[in-house]
Amino acid sequence: MSFMDTIGLGGFKGFAVTFRQIFTKKVTRKYPDEKRQKPQRFHGRHVLNRYEDGMEKCIGCELCAGVCPARCIYVRGADNPPENPVSPGERFGFVYEINMLRCIFCGLCVEACPTTAITMTQLFEMSVTDRQDAIYTKNELLVEPDGTPNHSQPAGPLIDLNELKLSDGWMRATSPAGRAAYEGIPHWPGSAGAGVRPPERGQRSDGGEV
Amino acid sequence: MADTPQPELVTITLNGVDTEVRKGQLLIDAAEQAGTYIPRFCYQNRLKPVGLCRMCLVEVEGPRGTALVPSCTQPCTEGLVVDSENAVVHKAQEGVLEFLLLNHPLDCPVCDKGGECPLQDHTVAYGPGESRFVEEKRHYEKPIEISDLVLLDRERCILCARCTRFCDEISGDSLIEFVDRGNGTQILTFFDEPFASYFSGNTVQICPVGALTAKPYRFRARPWDLEAIESISMVDSVGSKVSVQTSQNQVLRINGVDSDTTNHGWLSDKDRFTLQAIHSEDRLRVPLVRKDGELVEASWGEALELVAERLGSVRGDEVAGLGAARSTNEEAYTFAKFLRSVVVTPHMDAQLDDALSDEFLAATLNRAEINDLETAGTILVWAGDLKEELPVLYLRVRRAATILGATLIVIHPRRTGLSDVADHVFTYRPGEGADTLRRLKAGDGPFAEARQALDSGPVMTIVGRTGGAEDPRLAESVAAFARTLPDAAIMPLARRANVYGALDMGVSADLLPGRVSVRDTEGRTALEDAWGPLPEGRGKHATEILQGLKSGDLKALITLGADPVGNHPQPALAGEAVESAEFVVSLDTLLNATSARADVVLPVAGFGESEGTATNLEGRVQKLNRIIPPPGQARTTWSVLDDLARRMGATLGAHDAETIMKEIASIAPAYAGIDWALLDWGEGRDGVVLPGPDGTQPLQHMPVETSVTATTGRFTLHLGRVLYDNADVVRNSPSLDVLVQPASAAFHPRDLAVLAVQPGDSVRLAGDYGTVELAVRADESLAEGTVYVQANMDNSRALGASLIVQVDAVRGEGS
Repeated sequence: MSFMDTIGLGGFKGFAVTFRQIFTKKVTRKYPDEKRQKPQRFHGRHVLNRYEDGMEKCIGCELCAGVCPARCIYVRGADNPPENPVSPGERFGFVYEINMLRCIFCGLCVEACPTTAITMTQLFEMSVTDRQDAIYTKNELLVEPDGTPNHSQPAGPLIDLNELKLSDGWMRATSPAGRAAYEGIPHWPGSAGAGVRPPERGQRSDGGEV
Repeated sequence: MADTPQPELVTITLNGVDTEVRKGQLLIDAAEQAGTYIPRFCYQNRLKPVGLCRMCLVEVEGPRGTALVPSCTQPCTEGLVVDSENAVVHKAQEGVLEFLLLNHPLDCPVCDKGGECPLQDHTVAYGPGESRFVEEKRHYEKPIEISDLVLLDRERCILCARCTRFCDEISGDSLIEFVDRGNGTQILTFFDEPFASYFSGNTVQICPVGALTAKPYRFRARPWDLEAIESISMVDSVGSKVSVQTSQNQVLRINGVDSDTTNHGWLSDKDRFTLQAIHSEDRLRVPLVRKDGELVEASWGEALELVAERLGSVRGDEVAGLGAARSTNEEAYTFAKFLRSVVVTPHMDAQLDDALSDEFLAATLNRAEINDLETAGTILVWAGDLKEELPVLYLRVRRAATILGATLIVIHPRRTGLSDVADHVFTYRPGEGADTLRRLKAGDGPFAEARQALDSGPVMTIVGRTGGAEDPRLAESVAAFARTLPDAAIMPLARRANVYGALDMGVSADLLPGRVSVRDTEGRTALEDAWGPLPEGRGKHATEILQGLKSGDLKALITLGADPVGNHPQPALAGEAVESAEFVVSLDTLLNATSARADVVLPVAGFGESEGTATNLEGRVQKLNRIIPPPGQARTTWSVLDDLARRMGATLGAHDAETIMKEIASIAPAYAGIDWALLDWGEGRDGVVLPGPDGTQPLQHMPVETSVTATTGRFTLHLGRVLYDNADVVRNSPSLDVLVQPASAAFHPRDLAVLAVQPGDSVRLAGDYGTVELAVRADESLAEGTVYVQANMDNSRALGASLIVQVDAVRGEGS
């Protein structure tokens, strides 16, 4: 039996795909040496933001915890000490914990947040060797007063802490009063380290038509 | 109780459907009963309607066409045609909500009400969705403290007047009011007068927005965190229905639940805020055993083994038990059964000889229910100051006197919370009560009108000891007189939460379970069939127990949630008794003056931590529910006693609380037919009133009149209770502890002059049981020759309760 008989004409047809691909551009990347550009609304690790003056944005309202479908957020509020307030207003987030093992990164907490305190970033490298380490507390979630993010692990070839500075700005694209005519006008306060984030493509920044 | 007449019915047309409703009923209520909810803010079913908020507007057809009327002020009449859901009504509702939201801040995320807020809910359900108002909202200073317990945020207030109406109509503490006009209208307290009401927590509960918030609950949780269960308050014996709300196994809030039979939804701040004591750092978490004079932590096995050995080493009738007045019926029953059938002793008392006799409390004839107040023509209150001792009962009596128009007669040694609304107020010198009663009976002089009022029934008499030093036989004499009045109903008062239940369970020297006298041979035989041989005869009462321990007749003492050293009228005797007892074991939730001296302390589950039933002051059995686990290694009382019995070679058969209730129902005559399913799900959801003493019940107590001889002494003592005293439960509730005022000695101004002291000076009071030094105060409502001292205070406790006291001014240096 000859070679041609063994593989048949179908064999050539099948390998044609393989041979053709040899000459096309590769889509795989050499992760982690080479990282992919992630979409702007990537659902990575959360951060708790501060205002530009260093005040915490979180008011401990627990709306994130209430909306969370995975029940992975635990928040408790407390009275703001009047002489040394943590956040503007009467109340601040005293305890803030996210169990990253339970989190499904759906982003509903970000949508629910009335003060843009919680946003999602581009960092997703969060593997841990102890379940306890997967529960992120305010120590890891809250950014420093200058906007520098914290993380449970040091920067390394896998972990690029700069990715924690990349959060999106779409979450307040509607007016606070909910009036349809205002829809699309970005309205959100600035954050420490990032200032007022620019609107996305398609969002209006000046109140005019898109 | 008198039968309520059949209400007259009329037919109204509600949204096109003919509905039969009670004539004169408010439209808003009638519609709700028919299944149509009309949104409202100012209307509250226990307050008089005012029609302030305009949220409940409905369209009603009248002779001149249709008109929008507030349904909370519209009584139902025959042929009324109502539309609550058409476009006109919706437009009105949208308008009202848009208007209310002009000034209401949108700080819902930080507001305690957010998530359970009627304004939020109605805005979603009936609101316009957006506002045309672009101007700046009204601003006030964010929350101002109007009392030590309540914060007011005037920006959030929608001026519905629920809080002010509650204070005016229900509690009588008119301490908050509207001030200013127009856009500046706001709720405020009066100058320099805080909103210091015993009922301030109710205004927080009924506030339809987050304008009034309670400090102890402030920012502790959000409504969707909370798990709730219905239970009853174990702060006093009214048995108020409450909703116990927890998060993460912490009781964070207690709210009143509207119960027609007991509290009408209201609570005292003590009911509401002593929840802090549940999670006190001082809660007992592990068994403690005394070693080398110190209480040290031990294992349950070690502690119980020691108790079993020590109790086994003395004769049964050398052991006595005190307490169970704050336990559930199931726990009290197990306690009584343990003492009578395992230890075999007749000596036990649920009270500390500080209220009325056991038989009088358990089985007095013509026993009243709280709801008899609704139909009473005349109410005679000859008891402690209800506002201080049983605040929710005070609200019910006040309602009867003010809203329902009953004639109220109050007799007490001083001015009480009810004096303002009473038609006849009499004060007398403690010790001269018998004489006062004789004059009342005769209608002598100033008593003539009151005597006349007592002839028009139904007459409800609330009778108790006016003070710790008063002879308990006076209350019985009053009850004996009250029985002769038309349609008499008598409510004998004791204060501790489940003291009536504990007596019914047989934690008494005179009573066996189910209101059976120990002298009743038939009842005793029936009980012996179930429990085995019982100790002979009548047991010792609390004072006799303490005397027995002191003299050595008794060797060992078991306390269950009782503190004789801190609470007995003779503190020195109690202290010596506990010191000289060979062995003292305390089952308790907190370390108190007695358990701190005990040899073994066993931590038990408290309120919210154990399931069971309790019997209130009208004999109503209600269900207590469990929602959190007990702290540390604490266990339920019945399981501790069951374990102890097993180690002493006996068996109690207490496997779970529900089984114990079944056993009670089969053994205790008055409790036949009571079971948890009935109280949880059946007709007994508002509790079941036990049958009063009649032909079917073994025990009837006929109050007897005793001629109490008048006392002769320069000063007689009125030892009256105040709501916030130095009780352990208050001490462990930081929010209430700050409200406690130290005791003082109050005299009539003329007595002050005779003693040559000024208010603020000190006097030394010396009674039969102890001596204290207190600051002096003037009180014009007292009779001359009376000294009024607040009971159960750290600085007055040592005085004890002797009727006659010697008063000497203390002359400090330089005065």
